Amino acid sequence: MKPIEKYIETMENKDFAGLAELFTKNAILSDYCSTTASQEEYHIYGKEAINMFFRNKFGFRRYSIMEAEVVNDTQAEFIANFGGYNIMAIATVREVDENGFIERLTVRPK
Amino acid sequence: MGVYAITGASSGIGAKTKELLLQNGHEVINIDLKDGDICVNLASLEGREEAIRKLHEMHPEGLDGMICNAGVSGACGNLPLIVSLNYFGTVAIAKGVYDLLEKKHGSCVVTVSNTISQGAGRKDIVDLLNNIGDEKRVLSLVDSMDSTNLSVGNSLYVSTKYALARWVRRISSSWAANGVRINAVAPGNVHTAMTATMSTSAKMALNALPIPTKYGQECLMDPTEIAEVMVFLASDAARGVNGNIMFVDGGTDALLNSEKVY
Repeated sequence: MKPIEKYIETMENKDFAGLAELFTKNAILSDYCSTTASQEEYHIYGKEAINMFFRNKFGFRRYSIMEAEVVNDTQAEFIANFGGYNIMAIATVREVDENGFIERLTVRPK
Repeated sequence: MGVYAITGASSGIGAKTKELLLQNGHEVINIDLKDGDICVNLASLEGREEAIRKLHEMHPEGLDGMICNAGVSGACGNLPLIVSLNYFGTVAIAKGVYDLLEKKHGSCVVTVSNTISQGAGRKDIVDLLNNIGDEKRVLSLVDSMDSTNLSVGNSLYVSTKYALARWVRRISSSWAANGVRINAVAPGNVHTAMTATMSTSAKMALNALPIPTKYGQECLMDPTEIAEVMVFLASDAARGVNGNIMFVDGGTDALLNSEKVY
């Protein structure tokens, strides 16, 4: 599976630990969709932070995705739900290391 | 050595703070419902007045510090108590001993909570507490709420703590101009006798508020970690710190709100 496919799979399963394992130690995950839901942007630095951050979001049902579709080797579209507020989003794997771990991933409104 | 008064020091964070202050050679007066040096109910007007009167009788020369720590959680099942103890009791005691603090250029430390940053509070109630400050009216409003609903209790808890933090910020400038510093500590989830025996589902909810400094350990903050910061804020070593809401949560707030630098 490509990193973007694994990303979608773990997000759909609310598997915060599996999600974090897709990233390098110093990876950056930036989500710009949250501002549309009147929240601050998410800029999460490091795989452990990704683990903890999504443990919180999934645990309190403040973030989920649905209707996901991988559109090419590095991008996928989905509806992101921010505690009840739905936003059409596109995720892009921007950098991957030599072992296939994600260095940088961004999620923006589509 | 100094004289410090502290509310809610019979157990938990308060007891640890008292212990550290005593170790540093200070005199400490514990104001609590049970096992206190002054035993009063700070949720009541009479209890607050008695505590303030006794502190004035005991130390008319002034206090070096007032640590307002007493409070109840949102799960206590008593909504009026959350309002009266957490907000009105704390503000009344701090204001009531302000003249004693002024005499010795002392400082005040208030316990709030890192839940204030997690968006569960009700802004209308926060505004009623801070801007109207009418305890009877707020209690009348609370009477119509469902005390059996845990999320209602939690929301009210967060509202009282948010209002408390905002009150600290608002009052801090004028107090500092008169030689009295006031700050707040915002602890994360702390290990207490209550959390040690909580249900699996409640533990899962707590674990969904990860503590970065405890990564992979599935444990909560130790009361000593909070108490040490409270003692620091109350001390002269923190003489440059005023109007600060200091998060002592192992980084939970930074994890969930990294963009909020102010």
